[in-house]
This record gives sequence, structure tokens and C-alpha cells, in this order.
Amino acid sequence: MNVACGRIAMSTATESDSEFDQTLLRLLAGCAAQDQAALQSLYELVSPLLFACLKRMLRRRSIAEEALQDVFVTIWLRAGQFRPERGRPLAWLVSIARYRAIDLLRRERWAPALTADLPEQAAAAPEKEQWLSAGPLLERCLALLTDQQRQCLELAFVGGNSHDEVARLTGSPLGTVKSWIRRALQTLKACLES
Amino acid sequence: MNVAPDNPELIDRLAAEYVLGTLRGAARVRFERWRTTSNLVNDRCQFWEERLVPLLREIQAVPPPPHVWQDIRRRLNFSTAAPRRRNVRALALAASVLLVVGLAAFLYWRTLTTERATEVATISAPSGALMWQVEIYGRAGAARGLSVHAGAFAAPPEGRDYELWALPKTGAPVSLGVLPYRESVTRRALTGEQQQALDRSSQLAVSIEPPGGSPTGAPTGAVVFVVSLRVAT
Repeated sequence: MNVACGRIAMSTATESDSEFDQTLLRLLAGCAAQDQAALQSLYELVSPLLFACLKRMLRRRSIAEEALQDVFVTIWLRAGQFRPERGRPLAWLVSIARYRAIDLLRRERWAPALTADLPEQAAAAPEKEQWLSAGPLLERCLALLTDQQRQCLELAFVGGNSHDEVARLTGSPLGTVKSWIRRALQTLKACLES
Repeated sequence: MNVAPDNPELIDRLAAEYVLGTLRGAARVRFERWRTTSNLVNDRCQFWEERLVPLLREIQAVPPPPHVWQDIRRRLNFSTAAPRRRNVRALALAASVLLVVGLAAFLYWRTLTTERATEVATISAPSGALMWQVEIYGRAGAARGLSVHAGAFAAPPEGRDYELWALPKTGAPVSLGVLPYRESVTRRALTGEQQQALDRSSQLAVSIEPPGGSPTGAPTGAVVFVVSLRVAT
């Protein structure tokens, strides 16, 4: 059954993602037209994913809850500016949340507790829900990276860690971490654009 | 520097680090300013935003507490009388969202059962991963049973359970029980109330509930999937 499920997940990811995109587009158009029900539906659909991202990056639940409010206020106000021909709606929504978290990490005086983060990041994750498919392309490109490069990218993108924090978390020199990340991004770019 | 430099390679490198989140401080603020005035900067940011989003694939979704939505409504001065039609509309929208015909799984699953299902529904994650295959046995009016097969990726939400509901065309949803997880299979007989509800339903829904299912007999948490029942072939 493993094999059958795996095959289905892969073969239908694109079709299902595009249907998912269509719904997000419709809801964003609703928000742009000041339809409050559209924002609520959008909230029901994507808030668990966005909240999980915010919680991971900001580490504190209460701050993540406030950030989630900011994010949906922003989505409501900016929905009219979203241009479907320029990109996928989920990337747009996730970016609003991630950039808000990075803003808060930059502006807040509190220092995030780093210690609790690493074990969770490093743990194998058999029980995690697969909300997003990496897609065969990114999966293939990620496979070109070293384990260290991949870990650094995930600590930065998913965990919201700066260069300094990634260096501390991995116990590697800052200069080394910067060059791992730079090279990882170069490799990904070459692979993704090929 | 208020104007983005005319150097595509530099812009791309900065865009990647901006999206990754490692461009910080004054450099980030400056880059954000460039993004608002330069199409090239904006294009490269969008390239990286789309390409890197799948890095979140392993993150486990966490439903926020209910007060957050109320706070958002307050901040946006939404009317307090929430339009009830929302439910219908949300369900209709959700119904169009998440469905994939898991034909291979279905055929495989069919070979494992001796009785022929009369109606089936396939519930898939946005990624396309099969979550559950639901099958209903027996004709309307006769004693009927329900079987649910959980896909490899069907995992419980943090500290809660997923519950399956029949959505009659009129009237309240009727619980069909808590869903199984990770490749397990549940088979159970349907009560008279469940059978009657199914006879009047063309859709099933899945909501997030406290462990063991809704304490009230009605969905209390977010409805995360709505799917159509199909006649089994």
C-alpha cells in the first residue's frame, strides 16, 4: 500500500495543486472585492499552515498569534494587488507571513530562545503532515546539495534563523555557513532554471 | 543607495538571501525599497518565493486558537453579524479544492474487499497525497456499512482528531466517527441515523475535533475537507 499511495501522491500533485490554487485565487479575488466571507474561508484554509510557520519562526505562541492577525489584515488590505499571472497565490501568502515574522524578529527586543529549536529541526519527521509537495523538480535539485547545505537552508527558511543563528545551531564558523548557503542557492538556481 | 543596481547577478543573489531570510538589518530594508521600484528585483524575489516555498513541506499545520479570527474581525471592523451563508459558500469552495481521484488506490483497495461499495469518496491533501478513501456498502434502505482506509500521510493534527461527517442536503451534519490514521483501516456498521443522513447526502466533510471526536455531536472545529460522494463503479 505504501507504494500505491506514494505513486498517487506524486502523480496527482500537480493537478490537485492547481485546483487548490484556483480556490485561493477565487478567495483572494473575493477579498479584493471586500467580501468578508472570502477572507474567512481563506483563513480556514491556510491559517493552520501560516500559523505553523509563524510559530516555528517566532518560537513564542502569543507572538505568533499576533503575527497571524497582522498577516490576515495585510492579506485583506493587499488582496487587490495580487497578480495571478505573476505567481502562485500560496507563495504570496506564505511570503507575507514569513516576512512579517522576520520583521518581528528584527524589531523585537526579546531574544528568541534558540535552544529548543534544534532537536525539533534535526528530528526525523515520520509523523508530519505533508501540506506541500516539494514537487519532483525541487526534490531533484535539493538532492544535489550536501546535507549541511540542506540543513542550513531549512534552518534559515523554515526556522527563521539568521546567518549567526544558523552558525550557532550547527556549531560551524559563520564564514563557512555563509558560503554553504551561498553555494546551496547557486546550485539550486542552476538546477531550477535548467 | 535608493535605486537598485543594474547588476542582475547581484540582484539575484540578494533576492535569494532576502527570500531565505538571511538578508537582515539595513541591507534587508534597502532591498525591500528596491523591490517596490524595480521590476527586476520583484521578479527575482517571486522566482525564489515560489521555488523555496516547498521547503515548508515538512512543517506540521497547527490550527490557531479561535480568538485569533475574532481579533482579526475586530481589527478590520467586520460586522458582528457574520453572514451564515458563509458556511454554504465555504463548503462549496472547499469542495472544489481538495479532490483527486485516487484511482489506483481505489482499485487496489477494491481488490481487498469482498463486498462491493455503492458509494465512495476520496479525500486528498492539497499536495495531492491520499488522506482517506471512504467507501459505503449496501443500498439505501438496507443495512449499510462504512469502511475508511487511511493513506500513508494521514496523521492526526497536534493533540486532536479528524472526524468524518455526512452532510445532508437539509439539516445538520451527522457524525460518521473519528477517522483512522496512517495506513490503517476502519470498518463499522452504520446506525439508522447515519444511514438516513447518508441517504440525503451527496457530500462528506472532515473537521478537526478534540481527541475522540466532537463532544457536542456537531462539528466544533475547522472544516478542513469537503468531498463529494461518487457512485462506485
